[in-house]
Amino acid sequence: MFFPVYWLVISSFKTQFEMRSAIPSLWPNSFQWENYAEAFRVIPYARFFGNTLVMSLGLIALQLNVALMAAYGFAKGRFWGKDALFFLVLAALIIPEQVTFVPVYVMMSKLGWLNTFWALIVPHGASAFGIFLLRQAFKSLNNDVLEAARVDGAGRFGMLYRILLPMALPTVVTLVVLIFISGWNSYFWPLIMTNTNDMRVLTVGIAMLRDSIAGNEAMHFHIIMAASVMAIIPIVIVYALVQKHIVAAMAHSTFK
Amino acid sequence: MSAPNISGQEAAPVRTAASARRYSVRRAAEACKDFGFVLPAIAFLVVFLYYPLAYSVYISLTNWNMTRPVKKFVGLDNYTRLLASEEFYQSLKVTMLYTGMDVAFTLGFGLLLALLFNVANSRFYAFMRGVIFLPYYVSMVIAAMVFIWIYNNQYGLLNYVFGWLGMEPVNWLVDKNTVLPALVAVSVWKGAGFAMILFIAGMRSIPVEYYEAAEIDGANRIHSFWHVTLPLLSPMILFLVITTFISSMQVFQSIDVMTNGGPLQASNALVYWIYTMAFGEFKTGRASALVIILFVLILLLTLLQWAIGRRKVHYEG
Repeated sequence: MFFPVYWLVISSFKTQFEMRSAIPSLWPNSFQWENYAEAFRVIPYARFFGNTLVMSLGLIALQLNVALMAAYGFAKGRFWGKDALFFLVLAALIIPEQVTFVPVYVMMSKLGWLNTFWALIVPHGASAFGIFLLRQAFKSLNNDVLEAARVDGAGRFGMLYRILLPMALPTVVTLVVLIFISGWNSYFWPLIMTNTNDMRVLTVGIAMLRDSIAGNEAMHFHIIMAASVMAIIPIVIVYALVQKHIVAAMAHSTFK
Repeated sequence: MSAPNISGQEAAPVRTAASARRYSVRRAAEACKDFGFVLPAIAFLVVFLYYPLAYSVYISLTNWNMTRPVKKFVGLDNYTRLLASEEFYQSLKVTMLYTGMDVAFTLGFGLLLALLFNVANSRFYAFMRGVIFLPYYVSMVIAAMVFIWIYNNQYGLLNYVFGWLGMEPVNWLVDKNTVLPALVAVSVWKGAGFAMILFIAGMRSIPVEYYEAAEIDGANRIHSFWHVTLPLLSPMILFLVITTFISSMQVFQSIDVMTNGGPLQASNALVYWIYTMAFGEFKTGRASALVIILFVLILLLTLLQWAIGRRKVHYEG
């Protein structure tokens, strides 16, 4: 399972010549660090990296807050039509992304938001999965603490951000990581919503790198591999830090 | 207004009509504040999901071409044309073949890995589970890039390895017989670790007594797998069949990066076709009709799986 990742990393250090040798080598003859510098020259790599980061952080900020508030409302609030509205959230889980992209594209174009971070972030403000995950976590927390806080004069925002959020921290961290990873890896949406190098993200940029050299793939694959290695480093770091929590949260939230 | 509290118990408050009204007004205000917390989420879903869904249905009934502003209502014309075209059935066949293979191999492989790596309290096995799970989080674009290189017909590793076995080099992504299995392999590589993790979680929630009872009844390992593990894993299997199915039906990234739907439509799955129709040929109305067909298909098949599951799946207790 690890082999393709190994092959990616090893290939990123090879020379063009070595990439095309009749006998693929399991270890590079010499480490070509220039491949990494070359990736920055062939495409506006730093720009793509920055865009991906801004988009991912924006998605975290928006989705997390919207989901925290909604989860609080659904878990602890009392209002008419709560179950029906929660069903509306859950039903969102089975609606494919393709159902919305043409109308949202039109909407973004009318707002003049195409090719801006707004179009990349705002349409994904509400994550049904995030709301569901946090609601489960909040539901399992005892109401007594909230009552005590209410007596002390805490408002709803105070209760949510000062009491529930710290108590459900493992779930919140898991959600932040999941939003980061899905934002970092997203492809379909940025591909449609952006059309200049200024706004492209890494996934789209790397795919473009392949298209721009189509026909002589073998000539440049070592550079594509270097660009790809740099693009997965943030994912690997984040994943390594919180892998245990993700596995636990996944198993917990999906089983039964 | 409360009476002096002689008995030591709280006296029932005397409610006048005015105070009752004040009370219900306060309740309503509290409910409004609570509702305010779910409002942003509901607003996002309505504006960016439910309204677009309705709008897609409307566009699908027009002959709208994105390059021209005029939308003419054409009724079910887009649908009847699609359902009469050979391309539609080709694309549907490709999608169903891909989905069938993807679900079967991802789950089968995931279950096998779960059986091999479900060892508690071992650092080595925990590390291995992490390694196997990792591809799930590697971007599909990058996974696709590595596999394009592995599948390369001249310099690729796969043909080199097959060369040892005396096989002729195959142009994996350009041969119409190998293109779908080649795409499925990437998806299985990415998804099997996730299935494994969920299967392990499921296996660990099976009470040990069940296995002890089976052992007393003289069951060997294979028996207890078939008669204890598998039936009790069935809710997890159903969950994974449904989620893998929904995501496989929407296969797009790997096709866009690896094959562009080729060769000769052999990997032109529905979502990729929708994308080229909408943004390549600008046939927005037709593309929207295909979107709605895809959505209804996913909905019906998901409900069907769920209905079958409800009868066949064994829940504990």
